[in-house]
Amino acid sequence: MNVAAIFPTDPAAAAAALAQQGNLATDALQGVLPAGVPWWMITLGGAGLGFAAIMGFVTVMSMFSIWLERKVAGHIQVRLGPMRVGGWHGWAQSIADGVKLLLKEDIVILGADKVLFKLAPALVLGTALATFVALPFGPGAMIADVDLGVYFIIAISSVTTIGIIMAGWGSNNKWSVYGAMREAAQVASYEIPFGLSLMPPVIYYGSFSLRAATEAQAGWGGLHWYIFDPLTFWVAIPSFVLFFVSILAETKRAPFDLPESESELVAGFHTEYSGIRFSFFFLEEYAAMFVMSGVGAAFWFGGWNFPGLSLLEGSPVLHSLAAVGVFTVKSMLLVFVMMWVRWTVPRLRIDQVMTLGYKYLTPLTLICVFAAALAEYLKS
Amino acid sequence: MATTSEETSARNADGVREFEIDVRTQDVELNMGPQHPATHGVLRVLLRADGEILTGGQCHLGYLHRCAEKIGESVDYIQYLPYTDRYDYLAAMNNNLGYSLAVEKLLGVEVPVRGQYLRTIIAELNRIASHLVAVGTYGLDVGAFTPFFYALREREMILDLFEKICGARLTYSYIRPGGVMNDAPAGWLEGVDEFCDWMDSKWKEHWNLLIESKIFIERTAKVGVVTAEQAIDWGCTGPMLRGSGVDWDLRRDQPYLVYDRLDYQVIVGVGHRGTVGDCFDRTYVRMFEIVESVKMIRQCLAAIQDGEVCHPDVGLLLRPAPGEAYVGIENPRGELGHYIVSDGSKIAKRVRVRAPSFCNLAVIEDILPGCMLADAAAIIGATDIVIGETDR
Amino acid sequence: MQAPARDTGWGPMQVHFEAARLAAAAFEAAGIAVQLHEPNLPVFAEEGESKRLAKKAKDGGEREWRGDSFLKLADRGQLLAAMRILRDDLGYEQVIDVTGVDYDAEDANLWGVYCLLSLRHKARLTVKVDVPKDDCWLDSIVSLYSAANWHERESSEFFGIVYRGHPDPRHVLLPDDWVGFPLRKDYEFPDEYHGISCN
Repeated sequence: MNVAAIFPTDPAAAAAALAQQGNLATDALQGVLPAGVPWWMITLGGAGLGFAAIMGFVTVMSMFSIWLERKVAGHIQVRLGPMRVGGWHGWAQSIADGVKLLLKEDIVILGADKVLFKLAPALVLGTALATFVALPFGPGAMIADVDLGVYFIIAISSVTTIGIIMAGWGSNNKWSVYGAMREAAQVASYEIPFGLSLMPPVIYYGSFSLRAATEAQAGWGGLHWYIFDPLTFWVAIPSFVLFFVSILAETKRAPFDLPESESELVAGFHTEYSGIRFSFFFLEEYAAMFVMSGVGAAFWFGGWNFPGLSLLEGSPVLHSLAAVGVFTVKSMLLVFVMMWVRWTVPRLRIDQVMTLGYKYLTPLTLICVFAAALAEYLKS
Repeated sequence: MATTSEETSARNADGVREFEIDVRTQDVELNMGPQHPATHGVLRVLLRADGEILTGGQCHLGYLHRCAEKIGESVDYIQYLPYTDRYDYLAAMNNNLGYSLAVEKLLGVEVPVRGQYLRTIIAELNRIASHLVAVGTYGLDVGAFTPFFYALREREMILDLFEKICGARLTYSYIRPGGVMNDAPAGWLEGVDEFCDWMDSKWKEHWNLLIESKIFIERTAKVGVVTAEQAIDWGCTGPMLRGSGVDWDLRRDQPYLVYDRLDYQVIVGVGHRGTVGDCFDRTYVRMFEIVESVKMIRQCLAAIQDGEVCHPDVGLLLRPAPGEAYVGIENPRGELGHYIVSDGSKIAKRVRVRAPSFCNLAVIEDILPGCMLADAAAIIGATDIVIGETDR
Repeated sequence: MQAPARDTGWGPMQVHFEAARLAAAAFEAAGIAVQLHEPNLPVFAEEGESKRLAKKAKDGGEREWRGDSFLKLADRGQLLAAMRILRDDLGYEQVIDVTGVDYDAEDANLWGVYCLLSLRHKARLTVKVDVPKDDCWLDSIVSLYSAANWHERESSEFFGIVYRGHPDPRHVLLPDDWVGFPLRKDYEFPDEYHGISCN
């Protein structure tokens, strides 16, 4: 991301930079607003629009994910899940839950470190939202086309850990501290296989940019995905499996849900949280799942590319919206697999998690990186 | 993390320590319970932990103490029966049975044959229900949610059968001194037969979903090992004792009811995936006892004849002969003993309940040190305690 | 060893009677004073037995009773020695239960009761010992059977029997500050506990 491009001193350069960025928000603003509006207003307005879009999307998506999780869990567990609220299959359950959480008393326990305790949920949710900036939803439907998109996501998402340590430490509860420490150990360890498992596609595309990666998979009428590439699928499939295991650990999903493992640590780092602050952690979990799945969808499963999508290219807005839909569905499918795993397997122990991370995943991802390099060499 | 000096010190070829990491931090005291998801009720375990590794544990009981034994000295024999339901509420039929047998021993009456068969069927059905909950909740303890619901699905069918025969789903008071409350309604025995077929067909599902899961084996094998000597010394009974490789089952070795007429196997832990006596072996024993129980029920169904179900002389007001009787039966969790002292009046002088969970729990203080924090949940879960029973 | 034959609906009886006789003989040989009590009513009740017993209770006479036979130690000081014989020589590997009985408020003695189980011989044995209420102690058998640990704690808080040499004599079921011994017949129920009314 070019800082000078965001805060240029010269208005002309600013306008050029804005035009270059090519995101929907600023484009739309430039189209609507009369000429002569200063560049910073457009930037700020675009940021505001982007924030509103992310906020709206994340809230709706998380609520849907929570409802989906409960339905998936229900059907896996020979029951139905929510069936009452809203009529059809309890579709309004998450809304009801959200309202309930908003109305609940916000308890800050005695002896808590109040600053950390209150700051932690905001930090956690804030970082989760920030990662959405780089997700390639569709052509033009990116808040920011970050050159180092994946790098940006890895970097920002690890800030969540700090928020969780703050939450655990600030709660004045030993179980919370345990949860926070496990989170720190686990996420820090799995950054390595997570980062390395992204390297094969990066080598394949020659770029860290998620948009570039998506556009590179547009061939074959939208089916030339990395995982289908006949020359490299033998690297793509194992590297995706490794990536998927790593994101399970990164997003604290079962079987790696040790930071909040409720049969051992009560609820881990968010034991003492209630009401809206608790829901922030909840939203963060689903937002993080979506972002990680989005990275997976963009790198391995063609991002927004899908057969037939090019028919809509005549109408940019419709094309964008359809692309957003394709991308969201692909990501949600991966999210569904994460749910499926969660409701099937037991939880690992912390030493087993570490063993898996350091002894197996890290070497295997290194082999994958090497294999990807080899594949590129053979191709050339 | 400072652990035992064995692990943190490097040794040279002569076995002499070359250096030692002597960074020892203060141990954390963790209060596991009385409100904790892994303690199966209101058990409180005070853990001392060095990071993730436990250095000690101490059980504090009594949060659910309801003075069952004191009540036994103030109500008459039949009135006490509903209190027996409440110690091990997951196997209330078996509790009824243990108490009834002890009272019958003092009364000197033998239950009619049909009553004995009905009791056996009921006791084995309840054993299946209890083991299902034990294995299901054990899944919860190690983080697998789904097996629990599968277990409840099967248990629900047993509860439906119980509801048909006695009207209650949790606290039955169906087996009573002298026999059982009433004969099985028409079609009930066929329902039991159907359930046996169902359980046989679904057992493999439980086995594949939970027990054979790689992560489950990792979490339970070689964890919380209780050796045979330890188990005997600490008075462990039931699956806890058999899991440690001791071939002992009261149904076979102190035959009561009609168990001597049935053909079944006593399941003993063999270290299927790790060491003999680990948490996996206890679960393994429970899983296979379900199969054996189904086998027993089938044989009972084949052998049961028409007839009386309750001894005609045993009424509602009992005056057993003076004396004292200890009867131990094989409950799902181990030996449930009732020691009743009578002076010939209608109220017992002493009703002592020897609860299996109480005795099985004592051993965990011995095996907790050196385990990891997550293992504490696994060990308590594999012990399969019911707090209603430990505290009575 | 073959499982004992089922002679009653509640489990084998004769094997336990036999075991008690054997144990009594072994104690005699070891010089431990012990009394063998065997029930003098038949295992199964006869016709009209309860009426006869009720009548007899009014008239007095020799006590007739049913149930398990038991051994009664004459000297509580010999408890540990007796338990060691039981464990090492007679093969009673498990102590199934340790408890007390307060038979009557008027009695001067409590009973300490030990239920033992031999996995090897498939037999049970009940050993009793009198404990004077005004000098209420017994030797702890935790050094022989770890299983007695919690049982002795329980019996001690409920009956006030002090188990000498117990490694951890805390309360197990009752709160640490509970006053009185609830299972004694002369126990008076408290009116309140820490401001919580018990009535």
